[in-house]
Amino acid sequence: MKNGNRFINVLVPLISVLLSFLIGCIIMAALGANPLTALQALWKGAFGNLRNVGTTLSRATPLIFTSLCACFAYRCGVFNLGGEGQFIMGSVVCCYIATQSGIEGLPAIILCLIVGALAGGFWAAIPGILKIYRGQNEMIISIMLNYVATLFMGVVYTDWLRDGSVPQTVPVPDASKLSRLFGLRTTTAFIIALVVGLLVYYFLFNTSKGFQLRAVGLNMTAAEFNGFAVKKYILYSFIVSGAIAGLGGSAELLGTQFNLINGFAAGYGFDGVAMALIGQLHPLATILVAIFFAALRVGSTTMQAATGVPTSVSDIIQALVIVFTVAGLAMVKLPEFKALVDRVFSKRKEAV
Amino acid sequence: MDMTFISNLLLASVRMATPLIFLALAELYSQRAGLVHIGLEGLAAIGSLTGFLVSLITGSPFVGVLAGAAVGILVNMIYAYATIHLCAEQIVYGMAINIFAPALAAFIYRVYFGAGSELVQVELMKPLSAILGIPTDNFFAALLLDQTLMVYLAYGLVIFTAVYFNKTKSGLNYKAVGEYPKAAATLGINVIGTKYVASVICGALAGIGGAYLTTCYTTTYVDGNVAGRGFIALAAVIFGRWSSSGVLLACLFFGFCDALQIRLQVGSFGVPYQFFQMIPYLATVMVLTIIGIKKAGPKGVGKPYRREER
Repeated sequence: MKNGNRFINVLVPLISVLLSFLIGCIIMAALGANPLTALQALWKGAFGNLRNVGTTLSRATPLIFTSLCACFAYRCGVFNLGGEGQFIMGSVVCCYIATQSGIEGLPAIILCLIVGALAGGFWAAIPGILKIYRGQNEMIISIMLNYVATLFMGVVYTDWLRDGSVPQTVPVPDASKLSRLFGLRTTTAFIIALVVGLLVYYFLFNTSKGFQLRAVGLNMTAAEFNGFAVKKYILYSFIVSGAIAGLGGSAELLGTQFNLINGFAAGYGFDGVAMALIGQLHPLATILVAIFFAALRVGSTTMQAATGVPTSVSDIIQALVIVFTVAGLAMVKLPEFKALVDRVFSKRKEAV
Repeated sequence: MDMTFISNLLLASVRMATPLIFLALAELYSQRAGLVHIGLEGLAAIGSLTGFLVSLITGSPFVGVLAGAAVGILVNMIYAYATIHLCAEQIVYGMAINIFAPALAAFIYRVYFGAGSELVQVELMKPLSAILGIPTDNFFAALLLDQTLMVYLAYGLVIFTAVYFNKTKSGLNYKAVGEYPKAAATLGINVIGTKYVASVICGALAGIGGAYLTTCYTTTYVDGNVAGRGFIALAAVIFGRWSSSGVLLACLFFGFCDALQIRLQVGSFGVPYQFFQMIPYLATVMVLTIIGIKKAGPKGVGKPYRREER
């Protein structure tokens, strides 16, 4: 039965994706485009040649960071909806160091990444501390801090670090940019993201601290009775999760964006939560989901150019995937559904 | 700080509190039936777009508000089915609605207006004084009469909610579903039915709250125009301790913060305007921090109800 569960856990997202694409195709047809040509263009745009694969992976990189951020906190039973704010605070601090400190090259990169992670961790510590000491709803606090971070970034790019007449910051110096892989859009930031994903996976499933963290997430009361320091785990998981997002923010700034600008990181936090949920809080599955979402985004531009189907169709498909997956995962946990599966399986056994 | 500044500030507070009142009441009705809903931001976004489009097409902001309510209900039925029948985790599904509904709104806007459209504007709802033709030259006349009908509706709903939950049998039954659904079911209360009714009310009010933004506040729709009000409303329900009078006061406070930041922006004082824009969000964090850990919400909130479970 354990195998059956795992099979269903993979099957549900796959069926959800299929259903979402089906609805997406109906919308495309209703808009007067040929869904098959549109999907073909979507695929070509995302994976058609090596260059496009590079673009897709580079778009996936920030999403991997924010989805790992959401994944890590939720494993400990707390909802960190503030990934966007933590990501932004990481990139803001990184922007200051990269452009104002005068340090360049590899030392600057290392310093920026570390300080970015610290900034993200600090920003996440606020809801974490309020949660454990004041019993506050961590979701509302972390969302409010997203808006504060976005506005703070606004101050930085329209005022403090403004680049002449354009509302954006001065760019990161060339020497401090992350290097590209094989001349593609993908940078070492992607490698960093993969390493973080592996580390999170190793920590959660192969260390005793990770086991305790998951135990807290599964049943806080039971964990408390077993003598685990529940509050400490909650705070630490928040801080680490924020640090992952903050690291992502600085990696994105040094690797792809180079300057802060209106709309930077918009929606990344919630997207990360969605991807973590579709990946069922498994760090490695989450990475795959992030690449899939990035592919939909990159490919949709080609699709729009080729068939005139607006890129927002791909947003609808992504949103439907989350709507269907979450509902589907709830459905397969229902006793009625389990009974049905058992009946089907037992019948098969009788037949054998 | 002269008198006009203060009176303008208070008038603006009432205007800014109104969408929050609708959204907070939506949350209150949902939570009283045991359904915590963090997807109000999304419902308000789609309600806002519908209100905008329909009042543009029909020329009547009232029809726009009604349509906003209808679409709010429709989208919330997805949430209702998933959380009530499929027992999906309410927080997680609220999140899904928060991603789905704004994407849908953005998509409809793009399809309707095309990619590079110029700014389309609609006519806003007229205040009562303009409809009745009464001049409003002093502060109290302006406060009482210089408001759109939506404002009166919001306050009427607050009073109705207070009476309904505290003085009527049906209201007490409704609350029982949120407190302890199994006991409510033993008393013959239709738990599932009540939860669906709650979702209909919640969807309608959230849709109206969103539609208020495009029919009474700004003349156009932009993505993200709800700007966190759905979450602030959630905070208002906690701050207001799940009572409708408390929720009203909390919404007026947050509305005041919003009005204050707009007024201060105009003053500017050489400070980047974004710092003023942070005020409502920081106020929410402060208020929640101060009121602290006391739990007063319905006890059955967030838990799925299964009839067969003993």
